[in-house]
Amino acid sequence: MSLSTALGIAQTALLNTQRQTTILSRNLQESANPDYSRRGAMLSTAANGASIVDIRRSTSDVLFRQNLSALSAWSAQDTLLNGLNTLDIDLFGTDNANHPARLLGDLQTALQTYSSSPSNTSVAENAIETARQLVSALNTSSDAIQAYRSNVDREIVTTVKDLNTLLADFQAANNEVVGGSKVGRDVNDALDQRDAILKQISEIVPVSVVKRANNDMMLTTASGITLFETVPRPVTFTPTAGYAAGAAGNSIYIDGVPLAAGSGANTTASGKLTALVQLREDVAGGLQAQLDEVARGLITAFAETDPTAVNPDLAGLFTWPGGPTLPAAGTLENGLAQVISINAAYDSSVGGNPHLLRDGGANGVAYVHNTSGGTSYSDLLLSFDTSIGTPIAFDASAGIAGTISLSAYSTESVSWFSALRQGSSRAADNKSALMMRTAESLSNVTGVNIDEEMSLLLDLEHSYQASAKLVQTVDSMLAALLAAVR
Amino acid sequence: MKTTFISSYNTNQSVRTHLMKMQAELIKVEREVVTGRVADAGLALGSRTGFSVSMQRDVERLHTIIDSNALAGSRLDGTQSGLQTVADLAQAYMVTMTAASSGTVQPSIAVAEAKAAITTITGVLNSSLNGENLFAGVNTDVTPINDFFAPGSPARTAMETAFVTHFGFAHTAPAADTVDQAAMDTFLTTIIEPQFMGPDWNTNWSNATDETITARITLNETSAASVSANADGMRRMMMAAASVAVFFEGNLNANARNAVVEHASSMTGQAVSNLGQLQAQTGIIEKRITTASERLQMQIDIFEGKISDLEGVDAYEASTRVSTLLAQIETAYTLTSRIRQLSLVRYLP
Repeated sequence: MSLSTALGIAQTALLNTQRQTTILSRNLQESANPDYSRRGAMLSTAANGASIVDIRRSTSDVLFRQNLSALSAWSAQDTLLNGLNTLDIDLFGTDNANHPARLLGDLQTALQTYSSSPSNTSVAENAIETARQLVSALNTSSDAIQAYRSNVDREIVTTVKDLNTLLADFQAANNEVVGGSKVGRDVNDALDQRDAILKQISEIVPVSVVKRANNDMMLTTASGITLFETVPRPVTFTPTAGYAAGAAGNSIYIDGVPLAAGSGANTTASGKLTALVQLREDVAGGLQAQLDEVARGLITAFAETDPTAVNPDLAGLFTWPGGPTLPAAGTLENGLAQVISINAAYDSSVGGNPHLLRDGGANGVAYVHNTSGGTSYSDLLLSFDTSIGTPIAFDASAGIAGTISLSAYSTESVSWFSALRQGSSRAADNKSALMMRTAESLSNVTGVNIDEEMSLLLDLEHSYQASAKLVQTVDSMLAALLAAVR
Repeated sequence: MKTTFISSYNTNQSVRTHLMKMQAELIKVEREVVTGRVADAGLALGSRTGFSVSMQRDVERLHTIIDSNALAGSRLDGTQSGLQTVADLAQAYMVTMTAASSGTVQPSIAVAEAKAAITTITGVLNSSLNGENLFAGVNTDVTPINDFFAPGSPARTAMETAFVTHFGFAHTAPAADTVDQAAMDTFLTTIIEPQFMGPDWNTNWSNATDETITARITLNETSAASVSANADGMRRMMMAAASVAVFFEGNLNANARNAVVEHASSMTGQAVSNLGQLQAQTGIIEKRITTASERLQMQIDIFEGKISDLEGVDAYEASTRVSTLLAQIETAYTLTSRIRQLSLVRYLP
């Protein structure tokens, strides 16, 4: 009987080798797939030879979790940085060339030229034209900011849709895993698929995973909102049709709970969605508020005063729909940058007189400074330059607090935004490095090494040859035995 | 069982990622080498970007102020030479008046001298630069001094009418011969002098404003940058010339004329000293503007130095980085092809 046992074992060995070769070729085939986990056959020895009891995936829960959270953090930071870069180029141009701070400098230069030859109408027109460019930059920047917020909303809608689809896919993969695990089926492919979906989900929202019986998974966000528990929870978002300055957009709801926005340059946001909300509210909203404050500063700095100090100050070169009354001092007037305009009284294209800037009197004779009517009167022009440099109170809610000059406020605004961009860029470098590092570590544990597989293939080949040789030997032994019997 | 510590995917991926990073870096550094400035100032400076923007803005403004200082400087140069002409004239006129008081000069010659003086002063005060009347105060688009010799000149009429009102007859009437030196002197000091030194000057003679042009000469310093035709020296000099030109032509006796000459001499003397002061003041302003411009230029140099400290890159260092990066990228290419060959598959039969 022992010869036939040997033959049986050799046959099992051949079978094992074939199955292992199948697994190995699958490993080789998937070696370039980052979501694939290497499979290995688990052999167990028995009286009639070894048999494959299990096909096991190489996994590391710790590394996988680290990778997921690094992925969320990086995705958020990357979204923030991209948004900041887009806003930077859209609003301010290369090297802030189109920033109101620069254009304010141009206006000061034009005023200086005007004040050195106040009788010259073309330099007066030039000063008004420079002011018009400043106003147009403020108007278009504000419009661009609000359009950007709408764009962000659209991106949120798409992302939310993606997330809902991913959660549905996750449900399908999870059901497959749970169902298969219950009946002991090979669910490795479903596990791979589920992990891949999980990685995609964590780019959108931070995920923490709770493992349960039969490989079932429950997903919550990092803040504890349930994302998936047997069935996916609904993620909902209503976009705002048109944005107005100072108006907050809608929150994103997961399972009815609003998702908190991130904050800071090295953002606390995790996952794309929270970073998008941060961009829409904190960044775009903050920029808008600062532009509004610059607009308010301009209207105030160029306000017309009564030389006899009887009448109240009224809007001069720069005005707004609420004019000629000045906007309230020290208070943010939402959307002012969007509606600030050049006073028609100064605008020669609509019949105004640019020399009102030199003489005063856009609001009536009480406001005329140049009472003698001399065409080289420059005192009022020089006073504008002084008032641009005079500290006024700015609203702290726009992110830059304190009593500083309009000139300084505008450059502070440049600094505020650049600091945000610099901090974000540095954080993005760090988070991307961490993401790469965790992905590498994970891939080193779960990924396939072709050389290893090839050397294993050699083993299998030898093992196969040996088993075949065994079959042949047993066969000849049996033949010899039968020949002796004959 | 898994025995390895590196997956094939990683082996290939890591070189690729680093290669892309280095290429992105290379583009940045190349731009820095070409421009001499950091590729993205906002990203490099962060919260100091506003400082840099503010300084660039100031540099532009300083340049404009230097330009406008040059304009103010040329205006003051013109003013200064005009003042010199009037001052020279005043000296010469003084000599004539001294001679006239000693009786050695014919009245007709004195009148001619006086008329010439009025023409010269009017010419100087009405001179313009760049379409702006130099001595008009801020009212630079109107001619500051009315023509004394024009028919119906208000200045002349006012003087003649004042004579009639004071004495009851015209200075050309035969009765004018009766006016004595003391009466004439009183008339000149109490009636004619206020016509020139008081508000009547602006009605009869001048369209200029007392207010002069103000100019910003540094970022936070302003200065007067013109001289008005209404300056005391001008009024006195004009009075000295006009009173001779008008009353010498009348029927006054020698004593009364003597009063006119003495009054004119005294006025000219005061005018000379006033003009001297005015010239000195103008010179001080000129000097102030020149030094202001020099200071501004120094400020520009300092600011530009600071901007370059902030935004500039060391060209030598940047080009070294370019060559280092190029070498690294080439190494990465070589490595990629070597890694590709480094596979067990190649060695299996």
